[in-house]
Amino acid sequence: MNPMEISRTALDVEWRRLEIIAQNLANANTSRTASGEPYRPLTLVSGPRTNFAAFLDGNRAGARPSGVGVVGINASTAAPRRAYEPGHPHADAAGYVSYPALDHAGEMTRMVSTARIYEANLVAMNIARQMYSRAIEIGRR
Amino acid sequence: MAVPPSAIGAIAPTQPLSLSNLLPATTSAQPAGHASFAQMLLDGIASVNHRVANADAMVRAFTVDDSIPLHQVTFALEEARLSMELMMQVRARLVESYQRMMEMQL
Repeated sequence: MNPMEISRTALDVEWRRLEIIAQNLANANTSRTASGEPYRPLTLVSGPRTNFAAFLDGNRAGARPSGVGVVGINASTAAPRRAYEPGHPHADAAGYVSYPALDHAGEMTRMVSTARIYEANLVAMNIARQMYSRAIEIGRR
Repeated sequence: MAVPPSAIGAIAPTQPLSLSNLLPATTSAQPAGHASFAQMLLDGIASVNHRVANADAMVRAFTVDDSIPLHQVTFALEEARLSMELMMQVRARLVESYQRMMEMQL
């Protein structure tokens, strides 16, 4: 893969990561989903993309870089946050409403780092593009 | 950073530059497994065409469905632009060499 395509895979992954963070923040107060449980915050797990042929050869150290990919999206298993709101329609018999166990500070930190990594990959992609454009100009008269 | 020895071995040794390396031994018979120059050009043009068509499809898809990440559209456009630029450079060299041939005094 050329450097521009590697950067593009990273842009894809960071875009997906921001989608997940936005979904978590949007559902910060979702006390009931279709399954009847409170919303579970999601985490996107990414990892290096492996070349299938290189993987079969067992030659993973010498394999050429092939970018990054989404490995999976994990739902948090943390217990929901319970708040005493007897008037709420989703309150249980004791008057408690279950809210998602959302780590606000953690989500904001992840959001900022996602944006910065997205920018860093854009810079890397631009550098690769400049190198390619310069190489095209070799021998131009 | 340490370079694994397998990566060094994978790089083919460079051949010394001489006229016999640049020109095929016989002009009529192509060596087996090597595409002709015309075929190489055609393949290149087909790949440029494919990238331009891909960029076109991405723009179309983005106009009807803006859930597609924007960077994918701009990347496809940039890829198409760069490959088109490369093709124009190859064309410029070809035309130039053709004109040199035509100017040759026989």
